[in-house]
Amino acid sequence: MSARAGFVDVLKCSACGALDAGPREICPACHASALSPEQVSGAGALLSWTVIRRPPAAFRAEGAYAVAVVELDAGIKVTGRLDAMDAGGRLGARVVLAENRNGVPIFRLA
Amino acid sequence: MRDVAITGIGSTLFGKHEGRGLESLAVEAANAALRNAGVSRKEIGALYLGNFIAGPLSGQEVLAGIVADELGLENIPCTKVEGACASGGIAFRHAVLAVSSGQCDAALVVGVEKMTHASGGQVTQALNCAMDNRSDGPSGLTFPGLFGLAWRIHAEKYGTTRDEVSSVVIKNKANGLKNPLAQLGAELSFDTIRQSQSIADPIQLYDCCPVSDGAAAIVVVAKDRAKGAPDLPIDVLASVQTRGSPRIAGHRDIVSFDATVKAAEFAYRAAGLSPKDIDLVELHDCFSMAEIIDSEDLGLVPRGMGAKWAAEGRTRVGGDIPINPSGGLLAKGHPVGATGVGQLYEAVLQLRGIHANQVKDAGIAMTHNLGGSGIACTVSILKRPDA
Repeated sequence: MSARAGFVDVLKCSACGALDAGPREICPACHASALSPEQVSGAGALLSWTVIRRPPAAFRAEGAYAVAVVELDAGIKVTGRLDAMDAGGRLGARVVLAENRNGVPIFRLA
Repeated sequence: MRDVAITGIGSTLFGKHEGRGLESLAVEAANAALRNAGVSRKEIGALYLGNFIAGPLSGQEVLAGIVADELGLENIPCTKVEGACASGGIAFRHAVLAVSSGQCDAALVVGVEKMTHASGGQVTQALNCAMDNRSDGPSGLTFPGLFGLAWRIHAEKYGTTRDEVSSVVIKNKANGLKNPLAQLGAELSFDTIRQSQSIADPIQLYDCCPVSDGAAAIVVVAKDRAKGAPDLPIDVLASVQTRGSPRIAGHRDIVSFDATVKAAEFAYRAAGLSPKDIDLVELHDCFSMAEIIDSEDLGLVPRGMGAKWAAEGRTRVGGDIPINPSGGLLAKGHPVGATGVGQLYEAVLQLRGIHANQVKDAGIAMTHNLGGSGIACTVSILKRPDA
């Protein structure tokens, strides 16, 4: 599925309609093997964020970066990044998807 | 199911064991536990070994069999168990099950980890094997980062402050100074903690447990075989294991772990006890914020009050509920696979009344070992026989 600007790739169960951030093999709600790619709006609320200053070896080249957990308006939580490290710190702040980098959603304050 | 007792304990120092391998540490602890229990090697019917990252950091697996061979045990079943930082607690539970079910009359539990020979980046990368690396891992999240996320929510919901969180660190580091096995006991000030390096905001250096080497071991036997043991046998009232979500998205919020809440509920029920009966707890304080969340999830401190109780001195030795009199992971150290077994070691010393940081009249002790992003948990409750 080609990426639409501002949308996040998730999974939708074609049997029961449940959404999940994925990746997953079977639907966590009804256990059907019927999950297919879906795109939902990248708009949501900032649940929390942190700045990783000691990255694991695989991310060392990036230096410090901000990881965020966002509750999308579609009702699911995703773990991604914030594009700025000084997010302002206010939990519940509105965010939108800035870009999708290697499958990781990058959010910015709306 | 038969009643089970602990008759033997052993441990290495937790810290940096330069030039020593996993096998050497495991054998030292296991030999000490066998001697303490006064059992012959022929009596040990099963071995369970907790280890997490010997594969990535030392290139060595099949440790359970290697350790049994070194110890000169019989051709018994030897099983390595892995549940990230809960590996040691899970190993203990399986040994308890092997004995309580009648599969054998005595079993040996060993937990071991060797980490300090690797670089910080390698250790962080290896520990990240405990995440669901299809979901949270690709973001570059780390475990300090997970508790940084939790901290902001705890602060927002309950008004928890930097200095209240520091009270946990100051208490555990001071407890560690009294524990001869501890790696990093210290007398710390609020200022020193506040000025330490940022690791994963708001987590700073002193909020994190150190990287450690170490091993611990326990001998469990059928209770009717415990009579005549050289040292006081300690009853196992409950040894419970649960799972939680491997992913942040699967947790209702990030300031409580379902695996702990459920394990505590099952353990209290199995033991016929409630939180007020617990005289001390050794819980999984891999980070300062983890102790706060754990103490609330275990029902030992009211929800939201974990940091405030520490600040008021209610969780130190002599307080309402002494938490981590050993110094915990923050001060004693966190050789990951050994940690859960090390907590039981500390609890047994307390119940025998011979701990270097003794809780007065300790009769009932709890241990809590948590793995990954809350994916695996064990809770055990131990009792002095006359308590």
